[in-house]
Amino acid sequence: MTASDKTRSGFWDRLQRIDRRWVFLVIWLVVMLPLIFPFGIKPKAMPPVSRLFSYIDTMPEEKALAISIDYTPDTQAELHPMTIALLRHAFATGRRVGMLSTQVYGLGLGEEALRQVASEFNEKATTHEDSVINGEDYVFWGWSTPFLTVMLGMGERITNVFPVDYYGVTTESLPITPHIKNFNDIGIVVSIAGSSTPLSWVAYAQTQFGIRIGCGTTAVSAADYYTYLNSGQFTGMLAGMRGAAEYEQLLADKLAAAGSPLSLRRKATEAMSSQTAAHLAIIVFIVIGNIGYFVTRRGKQ
Amino acid sequence: MKRQLPLLIVLVVGIFAAAAFLIPHPIVRSVDEVFRNDVLRIIAAFSLVLGVGSILRHHFIKIKRKAAHWPFSYITIVALFISAIIGLLGGIDPNRPGILPTQVGGFSFHIQTLFSNIMVPLAATMFALLAFFMASAAYRAFRARNFEATLLLAAAFILMLGAVPLTRIVIPPLPDFAEWILAVPNTAAKRGIGFGVSLGIFATSLKILLGIERGWLGGGGS
Repeated sequence: MTASDKTRSGFWDRLQRIDRRWVFLVIWLVVMLPLIFPFGIKPKAMPPVSRLFSYIDTMPEEKALAISIDYTPDTQAELHPMTIALLRHAFATGRRVGMLSTQVYGLGLGEEALRQVASEFNEKATTHEDSVINGEDYVFWGWSTPFLTVMLGMGERITNVFPVDYYGVTTESLPITPHIKNFNDIGIVVSIAGSSTPLSWVAYAQTQFGIRIGCGTTAVSAADYYTYLNSGQFTGMLAGMRGAAEYEQLLADKLAAAGSPLSLRRKATEAMSSQTAAHLAIIVFIVIGNIGYFVTRRGKQ
Repeated sequence: MKRQLPLLIVLVVGIFAAAAFLIPHPIVRSVDEVFRNDVLRIIAAFSLVLGVGSILRHHFIKIKRKAAHWPFSYITIVALFISAIIGLLGGIDPNRPGILPTQVGGFSFHIQTLFSNIMVPLAATMFALLAFFMASAAYRAFRARNFEATLLLAAAFILMLGAVPLTRIVIPPLPDFAEWILAVPNTAAKRGIGFGVSLGIFATSLKILLGIERGWLGGGGS
């Protein structure tokens, strides 16, 4: 081995044993900087996202959208924009919404999403028809346990599963209830989850009652769900931050085409710059790590 | 009898629950509905009491024995009671007050306020730390040591690049290729694994129902 080979090998060896805090610093920078200075990239919807969007957009008018908040605050950054985008889509197209949660933590997240989106629409509303009203246009059924009871019971009579809504109001007394009695009145249930709950919706609710199921999931879980997507058990799927950003884009295009005055903040789209930079940084790290690995291995040989 | 009775309950209820899923007869359905809506919920309520009792017992013992990090047990117990009291009596948010006053001047500590300002940032922070550890682990351990590892590395590169919108501008076919990897080879592998796992679950369930597998009774199934 020549002296220059030894020097080169020593450099790569040192680079491989670099303090991991430098890696943390680089990741922090590549996540933070694009949040402050975004690239402004327009996402293009992939088939799983456009299928879900198209179905919700074109399902019969009297059918409601049910959103199951099956995630917890740890995956909120990735999944909450999906809930927001779905609610905006439903309210923008005048659909009734029923929301529930199979996770106790989902209650706070669902309440936050409903409050935010309802106020976005109500701020622009000029008539009662334009407004989004709790109990009339949407209902937050809340949480019940065990999830098996919820998924099967909702196919028979929703008020049996949720006798009172999240706010303690008797569900039978709500004006929306005659329009959403059971799964027959729901066009699709979209389960947004960081766990395998969407599969339980398929196993219990879809198998027994034939209800359509859509899914919103973390990017890391998405690979598990393609089987169900290809078989048609999932009507569509939003996978990770990219899925949410693509849905936001489809909705923005639809609102713009309809000349809607709504100008809504799109958090998933904003975060795509960060995600892009972070992915590229990780790829660069892996490439450097592998070059170092081969150079040092050759040096040792 | 101590062992026979639970086994008998599991056998009868287990077979009935599976059969009710397949038999659409009104009598079977109504009995099943009672089981699901009432019996299961009562059991769930008991498990809640058991869970709270268990966590309190665990932490009181820890405090009594001054075990490692015992002062944190006080925080757990206090947080448990405060959130339970506010959640049960304090209302959801300032617009829906409860019987317990949870607003002092402009400062509100309703359950939604506590959730949004304590629970959400704490949980999100813990999860966000993953990004740093993943990057560090990828840098140190993700090596093309052999053919399989190289395949994995190549697939990871394509999927990571395919997941960002910028790639569609730079390498237009890559996102579609990434989607194809997920939809075709990934699905094929997952289906195989899925069938294996499902058959395993089915066999284990049968063993539990028939009393062959008794580990759940405690005592290692002896």
